[in-house]
Amino acid sequence: MTTSAAVGATPVMDRLISRTVRKHQPLSVHFDLTYRCNERCVHCYLDHDDHGELSTAECLAVINELAQAGTLFLTFSGGEIFLRPDLYEILAEARRLHFDISLKTNALLVTPERAERLREFGVRRVQISVYSDIPEVHDAITKVPGSLQRTLAAIPLLLEQGLQVKLACPLMRENLLAYRGVMDLAEKIGVPYVLDLTITPMMDGNEGPLAHRIPVSSLLPVMQDPKLHACMPQPTAEAALAMQEYPAAIGSAVSSGIDSEAYEDLPCSAGHNSCYISPYGDVYPCVQLPQAAGNLRRKRFNDIWYHAPQLERLRGVRESQLPVCSRCEIRSYCERCPGLALMEGGDLLGAYERACELAEQKARLAGVTEPISALHKEQVAKLMQATIENDSASVIANSGSH
Amino acid sequence: MTTKPSVSWQKNPALAWREIDDATVIISPTDSVMHELNDTGSFLWKNIDGRRSAAELAGLLAESYEVSPDVALTDTQALLDEMSTRKLVVPIPATGGDLR
Repeated sequence: MTTSAAVGATPVMDRLISRTVRKHQPLSVHFDLTYRCNERCVHCYLDHDDHGELSTAECLAVINELAQAGTLFLTFSGGEIFLRPDLYEILAEARRLHFDISLKTNALLVTPERAERLREFGVRRVQISVYSDIPEVHDAITKVPGSLQRTLAAIPLLLEQGLQVKLACPLMRENLLAYRGVMDLAEKIGVPYVLDLTITPMMDGNEGPLAHRIPVSSLLPVMQDPKLHACMPQPTAEAALAMQEYPAAIGSAVSSGIDSEAYEDLPCSAGHNSCYISPYGDVYPCVQLPQAAGNLRRKRFNDIWYHAPQLERLRGVRESQLPVCSRCEIRSYCERCPGLALMEGGDLLGAYERACELAEQKARLAGVTEPISALHKEQVAKLMQATIENDSASVIANSGSH
Repeated sequence: MTTKPSVSWQKNPALAWREIDDATVIISPTDSVMHELNDTGSFLWKNIDGRRSAAELAGLLAESYEVSPDVALTDTQALLDEMSTRKLVVPIPATGGDLR
């Protein structure tokens, strides 16, 4: 045994994903503590009510079960997490159980004292929603006057505590033209950012938020923007430095892992090594895949995670076996999401319009001549068949009439 | 850096970590660097409890991995030194000992 043998080589994250996918270990969990919120964002997929949130004791029990199950990455989100009066109790327990803790917040309620508490509880990352650098645009989306100013004021408070801050900007009709401003703002503050094109129906299936979604044709300028490569996760300066200092050893920047090739033929991480827990204790494969696998008030996490039929079915899905998409010639340009396939196309295994349109647009931008998805190819074939049948019927009818 | 016998070791309390298979993955929240220990490193990690010295850890290692005490102590000290450099573990005065 030597020191160099005792420590692993990079890339650590890929190995971590491979191992946890193979074992179905819930490496990463997104836990919404509340759906209540102090903003009313026009595109939000949640209602803002309390239908019986888990109590403090129940939340602590859940995260103890997650620790036993082997979860490392724990993201607390909402709603607005600072509306939970017991947030610090929950964070303290998460810290005690050695989770890697991330938060998602609108940061309206962040004060110097609260930022300091977050550091004390070992929070590593805070993701903050920013819709525009223009107050009128941002505030019109959140429906809270002055919200951009308050959100931006919180960022230095968090950075001063050494927390990593990331800006998240969901793009919709209301802020499409403002995305460059958010990118510039992030660069000016010196934090990473992500632009997100995903606007989903509400958890109950209400399609209201989709009215805010940008048509694929209007996304061309965004998709062509060379600056967008900067949206890829980048290691922090400290992490990059640490990796230089220990080139052959154990350091590796923590990434989201979402793009890892370790997922191979799996559609995504949902149900394989990640899941979502609602404020009411419902366990879902993902926040975007509304098929509850069980409730933590009635069953233990491990019973749900390892035995729920919904999760077992999901684990059997392979991209290469999808009935339509596996035949698609532009599959490599597609970012198909099983949850959106279910919500928008009604079939977890199926193709859906938005993904096909986006894939075609990307393929076109990459130089593919007249790209067409398998779904659209099928639709064209059916249309032609119907036309031929109609024409034949007309000919027969016409010949009969003479 | 050498490990004094009178020093015991504890895990840096700021770290996030999990055992996954035979490995241990550790994340430092201050710099977002991820570390990985193999099964031997994980064995030591599990037994680093704020009370044991390098010699005591090496004793456990020698017993479990059937290596000679000398080899176990050399490897244990080397690993503790490296983990200390990376701020994964911190030395503390052993109970009843002194830190000369």
